[in-house]
Amino acid sequence: MRTIFALAGVVIKELYRRKDFYVLFILTIVICVIMASVNIFNDNQIVRYLKELCLLLIWISSLVIAITTTARQIPAEREQRTLLPLLAKPLTRTQLILGKFLGCWLACGLVLICFYVFFGALAASREHAWPLLSYFQAAILHWMALGVVIAMTLLGSLVFAAPSSNSTICFVLVATILCVGRYLDAVALTLGEPLRSVIYAFYYAIPHVEIPFEMRNLIVHDWPLIGWKFIGLDILYLLAYMAIFLVAACLVFRRKPVN
Amino acid sequence: MSVILKTDKLRVEFKSREFRQSPKVALSGLDLEVGTGEVFGFLGPNGAGKTTTINVLLGFVQPTSGAAALFGIDVRQPIARQRIGYLPEMTYYYKFLSAEELLRFYAKIFGLPRNETDKRIAQLLKLVELEHASKRQIKTYSKGMQQRVGLAQALINNPDLLVLDEPTSGLDPVGRMKVREIIQRLKNEGKTVFFASHELGEVETVCDRVAIISEGELKAIGRVSEIVAQHPSLEKAFLEVIGYKPQLA
Amino acid sequence: MNPARTLWLLLVVLFVFSFDLAAKLQPQFQSIESTRRQSGNFFSLLLGDSSKIFANSFFIKADEYYHSGYYPTIFDNNSAFQTPHIAEDTGAVASHNGGEEETSFMGPPRDWIDAFGRNFIPNRHTHLDEGGPTDDLSESSQVREILPWLKLSAELDPENIQTYLVTTFWLRTRLNKVSEAEQVLREGLRNNPGNPQLFFELGRIYDENYHDIARARNIWEAALRSWAREEPDVPQSDRLKMTLENFDDRFMFEQLQTSLALLEEKSGNTAAAIARWQQAILAAPSTADMQQHIEDLKHKLAEQPSPASSK
Repeated sequence: MRTIFALAGVVIKELYRRKDFYVLFILTIVICVIMASVNIFNDNQIVRYLKELCLLLIWISSLVIAITTTARQIPAEREQRTLLPLLAKPLTRTQLILGKFLGCWLACGLVLICFYVFFGALAASREHAWPLLSYFQAAILHWMALGVVIAMTLLGSLVFAAPSSNSTICFVLVATILCVGRYLDAVALTLGEPLRSVIYAFYYAIPHVEIPFEMRNLIVHDWPLIGWKFIGLDILYLLAYMAIFLVAACLVFRRKPVN
Repeated sequence: MSVILKTDKLRVEFKSREFRQSPKVALSGLDLEVGTGEVFGFLGPNGAGKTTTINVLLGFVQPTSGAAALFGIDVRQPIARQRIGYLPEMTYYYKFLSAEELLRFYAKIFGLPRNETDKRIAQLLKLVELEHASKRQIKTYSKGMQQRVGLAQALINNPDLLVLDEPTSGLDPVGRMKVREIIQRLKNEGKTVFFASHELGEVETVCDRVAIISEGELKAIGRVSEIVAQHPSLEKAFLEVIGYKPQLA
Repeated sequence: MNPARTLWLLLVVLFVFSFDLAAKLQPQFQSIESTRRQSGNFFSLLLGDSSKIFANSFFIKADEYYHSGYYPTIFDNNSAFQTPHIAEDTGAVASHNGGEEETSFMGPPRDWIDAFGRNFIPNRHTHLDEGGPTDDLSESSQVREILPWLKLSAELDPENIQTYLVTTFWLRTRLNKVSEAEQVLREGLRNNPGNPQLFFELGRIYDENYHDIARARNIWEAALRSWAREEPDVPQSDRLKMTLENFDDRFMFEQLQTSLALLEEKSGNTAAAIARWQQAILAAPSTADMQQHIEDLKHKLAEQPSPASSK
C-alpha cells in the first residue's frame, strides 16, 4: 500500500506543478465572474443560471484534467524510460497501475474540492445559503464518475499507442455517454435488428456516468436531497466499473513489453 | 565467494511482426555467473543481447527457456529485485521533481524508514556531488547531473548488486570520470556491479571479469587480465572474439 | 529580374489594388452597416439567422427553469409542453398543449437503469411561481430565475414579440418590477416600431401600475393608429373587415377598444366609453353582455343632466 501511495504522490505533485489545473480554474472563475456581473433587470438574487454555468464548467474542466493527466501517465513513463528503474524496484505491474490510478483519482478529488468550494461561494454570494449536504452528494458522485473515466483512460493508455489518440477516444466516448447515455435504450427501440441488439448491448455495457452529470439539475434548482440509499447504490455501481477497467488494465499491462 | 547472479541456458526469442517470418533469437543458451564483490563487465556490439539479458534479469522480459536468478531467487519474483539497484541507459527522470524528492519517492517504494531515508539521501547526494542542486527540479539539470541522479536512485536501497546499462553513454569526459570514480568507490565498498558497456577502456579500468556476447551467444568469459594477456589490448580481443575482420590492412 | 524586386513590386500592386477596392466598396459597406445597426445587436451580427434558433432554445430554457429542470427532452413525450408554460400562463399565446401535465412525460421506466436514474433528475411537475420543488409559496419570487434566459432570447431574436410580452408579464405581475417591465417594452418597441401588442402592454403598465390614465389613453390610441398604418393602401372600412377576419388581430382590436372604453368610464367620459364599446363589440366573440353594458351606459348618460340644462 505504501508503494501505491508513493506512486500516487508523484502523480499529485505532477498535477500541482503543471499549469493545466490553474489555467482551467482561473478560466472558470473569470467566466463565472463575468457572467455574474451582467445586470439582469436590476435583480442581484438571480443565481441559477450562474450555478448551471459554473457546474458545467466544473464538469468540463474536471474531465479535461482527468483524461489528459491519466492519458499521459504510462506513455510518459515509457517514453522517458522512467518505467525501467521503476519496475526494477520490488514493485509489481498491478501496483504500478493502482498507484497511477489512485494518484490521478486523488488529484482529481483535490481539484474538485477547489472547484466546489468556489461553486459554493459563488452560489452563497447570491442566495446566502450553504446546502452543504447537497453539494457533498454532487461532489462525491462527480468524483466517483471521474474515477470511472480515469480507470477507462488508464486502460486506453495501454491499448492505444499515442496519448492524443487515447484522449480523443475517451473524450468522445465520455461525451456520448453524458449526452445520450440515458436514452440509448429508447433509441434502440426505434431501430430494427441487428442494430437494436447492438445498441442495447452498448447501453447495458457502458458505465452510466451521466447519472451524476444529470444530477446537476437538482443542485441548480435547489431540489431536496437525494436519498442516501440511492447515493450509496450509485457509488457501488461506479466502483464496480472502476474495478472492471482496472482489472482489464492490469491484465493488458501484464502482457505488455516494458520497452 | 557466493553467486549473486546466475543465468542457466537462457534463451529469448521475439516473435516477428512480419508475416511468416521466423522468430528473432535475442539470446541463445546464455550461462553466466557473477560472484559477490565482483565488478563484471558485460560487453558486446550493438544488438548482441546485452540489454535483453538485463531485461530478463530485471523481470521485464520473460525468457523463452532457461532460467535466471538473483540471490538464488527466480527473477520473476518481485522480491528478487529488493537488493538490486539499476541504472538504465538514457533515462529522463520526472522533470517536475527535485533530486531529493525523486530519491525519497524511490526510498518509499523500497519501504525504507523515514530516518534512514533522510540519512541515505544525504549520503547519496554527497556521493554523486549534487548536494548543491538537491532542491532544484530535475528539468534544470545538465545531462551529466541527470545521469548522477540516476546513479543515486540506483543506490537508494544500498543494493548488494548494481546493474548498470551504458552508464557513461552521452557524457563528456569529466562526467565519465565522475561515474567511473563512483563505480570504483562502490567496488571498494565490496558491492557487486554488473556493467554493460561499449567503453572498453572503462571496462578494462574498473572490471574484474568480463563476458563478451555476440548475436545472443556467449563468446568469451574470464578475468580481464587473462583476456588481455593473450591479445595486445582488450579492444583487439573484443574484435577477434566477435569475429570482426578489419577491411583495411 | 531580381526575385526580391518582383516580390516588392507585387506587394505594391496588391496594396494599390486593395486600396482601390476598399475605396469602391466603402459606400456600399456603409449602407449595409446602417441596415445592420437598425436590425440587430452583437449576437445577431455574430450568428446571423441562426440566432433565432438559439433564441428559441433559450426561451425553452426559461420554461425549463420555470419547471425547476423538470422538462422533456427530444426522447420524451412532450405533448404537454408544446407551448412553453411561461407563455401559456401569461395569456400571450394560444396553448397547443395536450395530454395531462401532471402525468410524467417520461412514462413508466423502461428498465432498471432508467428507473434508478430517475432518482437523480427532477421528477415532479412544479412551477416556480408556486414555490418550485419545495412547494413553499413564500418562495414564489424564485420565478426571477427565468429572466436571464428571456433576456438572452430577446437579444438573439429582437423581433420576437412573445419574448417581450412574457418577460413583461413576469416582471410586472410576479416580481413587481414595473420600471424594468416598461424598459423591456420600450426596447421591444425600438426593435419593432408600432407593434400594437407591445403598445397595449405598455398602456396597461401606465393604467394599472402608474394610474396615469392620460398616458395610458395616448399609448392605446397610438396602438390603434399604428395598427391602422400597417395597411396604408387599404381603405379604413376594409381594414377593419380584414382585421376582424384574423383571430389574433381581432382579439387585439377588442382588447384595445375594451381597455380604452373602461378607461373612459373611469374618467367619467360615458359618451366616449359607449363609442369604444361599440367598436369593441365588432370584434367580440359574444356580444350579449357587452350590448347590455352599452345599454346601461346609454341609460346612465340619459339620466345625467346635460351641461346646458344645468345652466
